[in-house]
Amino acid sequence: MSLPESQLERLETTVPVDVEDPEAVLGKSPTQLALGRFRRDRLSMIAFFVVATYVIGALLAPLLVKLGVIDPLTLHQDLLDPALGSIPKGSWGGISWSHPLGIEPGVGRDVMSRLWYGVTFSLTIALAASLVAIVIGTVLGIIGGFTGGFVDSVVGRIVDLTLSFPQTLMLLALSATGVALAAKYLPGNGSDALPNGFYEVLVLGLFGWPPICRLIRGQVLSIREREFIDAARLLGASKMRLYFREILPNLWAPVLVSFTLTMPAYVSAEAALSFLGVGIHPPTPTLGNVLVDSINYSVADFTFFFFPALLIAIIVVSFNLLGDGLRDALDPKADR
Amino acid sequence: MASYRKKALAIAAAASMSVALAACGGGSDNGSKSDSSSSGNAAKGGTLTYYIYAALEHTDPQRTYVGRDITNWSRTVYRSLVTFPISEDEKVSTTPVPDLATDTGQSSDGAKTWKFTVKDGVKWEDGKPITCEDFKYGASRVFATDIITGGPNYIITYLDIPEGKDGLPIYTGPYQSSAEGKAAFDKAITCEGSTITYHFKKPWADFPLAVASLHMMDPYRADKDQGDKSNYQIFSNGPYKLEGAWDKQKGGTLVRNTNYSASTDSADIRKALPDKIVFDIGKTAEQVTDQLIADSGADKTAVTERRIPSSYYSQITGDVAKRSVTVTSPYTDYLVPNFNRLTNLQVRQALAASLDDTAWVTAGGGEKAYTEATDIVNPAVKGYQEGLFPGGSGDPEKSKQLLQAAGVQMPYPITFTYPSTATADKQAAALKAGWEKGGFKVTLDGVANQDAYYTNIQKPDQKADIIWAGWGADWPSAITVTAPLFDSRPNLTKNSNGQDYGAYKSDEFNALVDQAQNATDLDQQTQLLQQGDKVLAKDVAYIPVDTAIFYFLHGSGVKNYMNTAASNGFPDLGPIGVK
Repeated sequence: MSLPESQLERLETTVPVDVEDPEAVLGKSPTQLALGRFRRDRLSMIAFFVVATYVIGALLAPLLVKLGVIDPLTLHQDLLDPALGSIPKGSWGGISWSHPLGIEPGVGRDVMSRLWYGVTFSLTIALAASLVAIVIGTVLGIIGGFTGGFVDSVVGRIVDLTLSFPQTLMLLALSATGVALAAKYLPGNGSDALPNGFYEVLVLGLFGWPPICRLIRGQVLSIREREFIDAARLLGASKMRLYFREILPNLWAPVLVSFTLTMPAYVSAEAALSFLGVGIHPPTPTLGNVLVDSINYSVADFTFFFFPALLIAIIVVSFNLLGDGLRDALDPKADR
Repeated sequence: MASYRKKALAIAAAASMSVALAACGGGSDNGSKSDSSSSGNAAKGGTLTYYIYAALEHTDPQRTYVGRDITNWSRTVYRSLVTFPISEDEKVSTTPVPDLATDTGQSSDGAKTWKFTVKDGVKWEDGKPITCEDFKYGASRVFATDIITGGPNYIITYLDIPEGKDGLPIYTGPYQSSAEGKAAFDKAITCEGSTITYHFKKPWADFPLAVASLHMMDPYRADKDQGDKSNYQIFSNGPYKLEGAWDKQKGGTLVRNTNYSASTDSADIRKALPDKIVFDIGKTAEQVTDQLIADSGADKTAVTERRIPSSYYSQITGDVAKRSVTVTSPYTDYLVPNFNRLTNLQVRQALAASLDDTAWVTAGGGEKAYTEATDIVNPAVKGYQEGLFPGGSGDPEKSKQLLQAAGVQMPYPITFTYPSTATADKQAAALKAGWEKGGFKVTLDGVANQDAYYTNIQKPDQKADIIWAGWGADWPSAITVTAPLFDSRPNLTKNSNGQDYGAYKSDEFNALVDQAQNATDLDQQTQLLQQGDKVLAKDVAYIPVDTAIFYFLHGSGVKNYMNTAASNGFPDLGPIGVK
């Protein structure tokens, strides 16, 4: 559920100011340089547009559901064949003009609507969990890296401890209690989307921050030796100011890259957890729970299995390519 | 949605074994029995594999309460006084025949006294004869309710032993009991030579049915009894015995019992053809179905208790279909309104009226997975009444009228609690759609933790308005269906609703149960129970939703494959052969 560390360790170099670059003579800012490099990378641009499409789709979905353009909940059991285990009548999973990606076996809900709306829920979960992980990881990374000494080793041990937890097992074992607890303070009962999603986000985030923390700490170790930090210190800046006004703005590149690499990890984590019965349950769709339901039908109703798997594969690959592209653009010295 | 683990209760007897011929367009995609038992006569020898998914909780006869295990042990290791014979005729296979006893029992004193004589020459697996005392000892174990848990305990309420202050019998089992309890038990069950006599405090007209359906009256050897430690011990008196020990996670292997003499038995009960029977625990329905479709190696001679998952139905064609059967199971699923919350009769009637049973069955996988139910009593059980509930796809208009007449706000909010699985979630969504057409606003509460499901729905303060539950008759009489589920007196206590999950309480129904329990004549009893069921339907104490269909696949080398009423719809090990 957490990021493989190898992906992040490669980032542990500072953002360079490359005076040898001929374009630098034209007076471009590092950001402009990075953007320029990113635009020239075709694959990254494609990945960017795919991700953008998903995000826009995810934002539009609730509106489209309200307007009745997509309908992920209405049953169409008349289109099913009860003699064959209630799979859709006809070949290709019941694909028709009104159901372009077919319908679900058993209840006949529209697959396209469910996937579309599912993207919204899956991305929301991934986004929220990434934010939790990044906020915790960054704050602890800055504090540990900047303060050093005892505080640093305490943070380091917390990181080790968190990494050594059998998190998947914990997530499963505590899910009933955790969701019940969440349901006490959030609207809805134990099988509703909100408490289940909240629990999932919380646990993914709480176990996902250590690699980010280590990465940020490494960056901070080199930044704190820079002259502008000494200057700020001499001017009597408070710790808070040093942490969040002086250091944090210099960390946006690794944070952004971690974010784009955490997102796909959590999209797949959501699917994996759905398989284990944790997370949002149907009828509320997520990419994960639609996929899990479809796995058993991989032979009987292949199209039903194919589309959710395809959608998850595309978004995971795109986010990863985007992350790679961003890293290359922000940090051209990193070896490939 | 059916899980046959139920709880520690009732899953026995009674099954309708109609081989439902598939209704779909004249196809031959449905194996009938004649297809599957390919060659008429099977020979002795070979190894039969029986795939089971979940670990057995007990193999102790007095603690066995799962329909599949009851019948498997009956055919292999645990013989009873009387048992059910092998027959595809439902009437025959639910009529007890003598097994260890010489006849099916003689009653006197208005069915309050029952007498059986144990056959000569019947032996345990170590060669010692089975005596009347062994039967008495077996029955005594049921009274040790703190040690011998999980099994049926009907004889506790029937056997003529005085009750103490706590309302329980003063006899507390063979492990520790007061002298006076022991004396009372010795009077209630008496042995004269090989004749055993049971004395009951109230009439038990269908006692032989109970003996044949369960293993609570089985003999047990006192010197082999280690209390709870005997939970996975199998000390056989049948044609097979356990090889080595039973492994809870993996199962066990039965081999021939050399001290069994077929002359004391009947080929109508057990043919005992395979040399070995392997019980293989742990494979999911998907794994088993994949293996049985492939039909290679040991799977050629394998049977299973796992139903074919609905996602596999389209693969069961041609030769594979010839190895499949569909059988109506003895299990019925039903919904109970929570009487603490849905106090208005018209609201409950509206729930029943707008219930879309057809959608429920379709969402569950269609006609090979479930059939609509209109009575909580299974069609194969005495006391079944057709059309007690409407079934079908519901009448939303009638439901709205009823809600209007009740004077409640519409949409009326309700919460539906059920054990959550992928299929169950779809079935619940289907019901929700129907109810919402009928003027309700439904919140689905799918319980992911299924081990605790029944414990949770027994809580008197639960928030659910309507609750899913499943049941199978203990023996083919409605006395083991409606009485244990809706008689408020044994069920409702301060801390638990018992099996009366909806806290239903009706003096009219309770009185009919009393009359039925005291009836000396089976027909009269059945009539009283039917009246009682009508009271339940009138009050909408429950809404039946489905009877599970058993759609099973078996290997191509399996002969005489049958699913009989005697085997609760599971593969009957009595006639089966693999050579």
